[in-house]
Amino acid sequence: MKVDNKPGRWLTAALLAPTSMWFVFMLIFPLIVILVFSFGERAAVGGYAAGFTLEQYANLPSRLKAFQNTMVIAPAGTLLSLLVAYPLAYYLALRVSRRFKLMLLVLVIVPFWTSLLVRTYAWIFILGGRGIPTLLEFIGIEGVRLINTPGAVLIGIVYGYLPLMVFPIFVSLEKLDKTLLEASSDLGSSPFKTFMQITLPLSMPGIATGCMLVFILLMGEFLIPAFLGGGKVFFIGNALVDLFLQSRNWPFGAAVSVTLVVIMLITVSLYMRMVMRSKTGRDESLM
Amino acid sequence: MSKSDDNKPITAKKFMQYFRSYEKGSITRRHFLGVTGLGTAMTVMGTAMPSLWSGKAHAFGDLGDRMVFSTWPNYQNQVNLDEFSAMTGVNIQVNAFGSNEEMLAKLQAGGTGWDVFVPTNYTISNYVALDLIQELDLSRIPNYDPDANNPKFAGPATVNGKVYCVPKNWGTTGFIVNTKKIKSGPKSWKDFFDVTMGKGSGHTILHDYQLTTIGAALCALGYSFNSIDAKELAEAEALLIKSKPHLFAITSDYQPGMRSTDAWMSICWNGDGTQLKNDMPEMDYVIATDGGEIWTDFYAIPKDAPHLDAAYAFINYMQDPYVQARDAAVHGYAPTDSRAIALQPDSLGSDPILHPAENLMNGLEFGAAQTLTDPIRAEVMARFKSA
Repeated sequence: MKVDNKPGRWLTAALLAPTSMWFVFMLIFPLIVILVFSFGERAAVGGYAAGFTLEQYANLPSRLKAFQNTMVIAPAGTLLSLLVAYPLAYYLALRVSRRFKLMLLVLVIVPFWTSLLVRTYAWIFILGGRGIPTLLEFIGIEGVRLINTPGAVLIGIVYGYLPLMVFPIFVSLEKLDKTLLEASSDLGSSPFKTFMQITLPLSMPGIATGCMLVFILLMGEFLIPAFLGGGKVFFIGNALVDLFLQSRNWPFGAAVSVTLVVIMLITVSLYMRMVMRSKTGRDESLM
Repeated sequence: MSKSDDNKPITAKKFMQYFRSYEKGSITRRHFLGVTGLGTAMTVMGTAMPSLWSGKAHAFGDLGDRMVFSTWPNYQNQVNLDEFSAMTGVNIQVNAFGSNEEMLAKLQAGGTGWDVFVPTNYTISNYVALDLIQELDLSRIPNYDPDANNPKFAGPATVNGKVYCVPKNWGTTGFIVNTKKIKSGPKSWKDFFDVTMGKGSGHTILHDYQLTTIGAALCALGYSFNSIDAKELAEAEALLIKSKPHLFAITSDYQPGMRSTDAWMSICWNGDGTQLKNDMPEMDYVIATDGGEIWTDFYAIPKDAPHLDAAYAFINYMQDPYVQARDAAVHGYAPTDSRAIALQPDSLGSDPILHPAENLMNGLEFGAAQTLTDPIRAEVMARFKSA
């Protein structure tokens, strides 16, 4: 059968149409609007007024601190999530009996059934003065301040993003060929060496995916720093919320967005290249 | 009602009896809602059993089954909303907002689907200029009595001789102090910032709101709350940035921090002051001697409100003095309507936080329209937050 016969091509086009339309109207078009806005001016009462100026981009240094905070805390949060998620995923994939596996997996998802906003708000009380610090006072540790610190934001991040990290790692560990582990120990490797030489490399695709998912979302995060950072740990996402909803300086907001998109493109492509290079010779797909 | 009856749904006949006595005023609305179970089941009653509403209900006409009400957090009595739904069959979707800017941004973007919203005095002329709100047909709001409303508060509703909204509540912006933690008794914004950067370091909350936060800093420096002078704003910015390391938080949601006693002082709207003092007597609400804000909130209808009839019915309902008093009993802000104030219990009607003495309010200013939209103020706030 010829592949490029006419009805077939029509069918392909028809099937691709919804995706292409979505791509054009929901991604390309808004990006163009943002790009155009970023060269405009703030209207007298806020919003957008047509124009062509580079003023917005010249003003970017005034948000340097927000960019810095994001570029430090987003990678740190990703790394911390990985360190917390890996043992959990390992346990779920390789140690738990089939009977409990499903139940425990569901428990990881359960928090997703409630809005992140509500769950993060709850952490305000857990980390606040009458929460964990009061418990610490009972065992003699006084004067601990948790809420409204970068540490509180990191705790909120690990809590909120954990499932996104657990699942990709779980999947790659789950399909890992267990006979390799047996072979390794039969040949005299210590458990640590087996882990470093077999388990960890084979779970790299999951780690790479999980890190990317968490990192990309974190770069746009605003809720957790607003709630647990008390407005003092300021992310680029918070700057955007402010610019669009508070000061209504849409052109500057657009310029910050464009800058963020560019930073993300560079960071993610560097990351992808690094990941690709580290797995040369292996044909396992990344995602 | 005997105990055994409690578990049974009320019969239609009995319901109508209660409804008639409610109409005649022989029982209170709360009692009516309580015994009929309408407080919880209002939507079911309103929509599924329209035939019950043979009497008064027809006066409402067909208002549709829904409307959207955009307002502030902790700012309405749910009993009122439920009762309105029960009487009219209109379910109310409530959106709570954090700032006037956010409301303005949403309305400017268009397609909000809002029917009634609650703007503050200084935004109204902007809304009119942007053609975002409707002139009100006061004949459709018979419960609103202009003569019962102090013109000082109701004034901003009229722009170019046309009335665009009716008042909801008024209040002041001062600060709240936990006197168990701060014993020096700060009286002014200058004291407020001194304590923040002194003994109270690490325990002060400033609003995530340029109008009040920059306004407080300006007053502390001896300038007008409404200043848009670049030099004065630069000084205010310097003060804010200097105080930032000493802050507990920058948030308009300051009650949790004050209640947990993590925070000892916060910029505060007087209704929150009442709510906090009710639960924690050590909380003192202070109207600063060096200035501050006085404000009125209004009910308004966006230009593109999809349920106009329901919007008018709702505003009219909320202007009923009894309903206003019941609203105020929950959220702690003072009505502007003298008829509603007369209905408040003495403890509220003479409450110094709700109804401060005139001489205390001499230094207070109504926020100005340009204070809200001034680009320098917006940028000062943004720089302070990202500093």
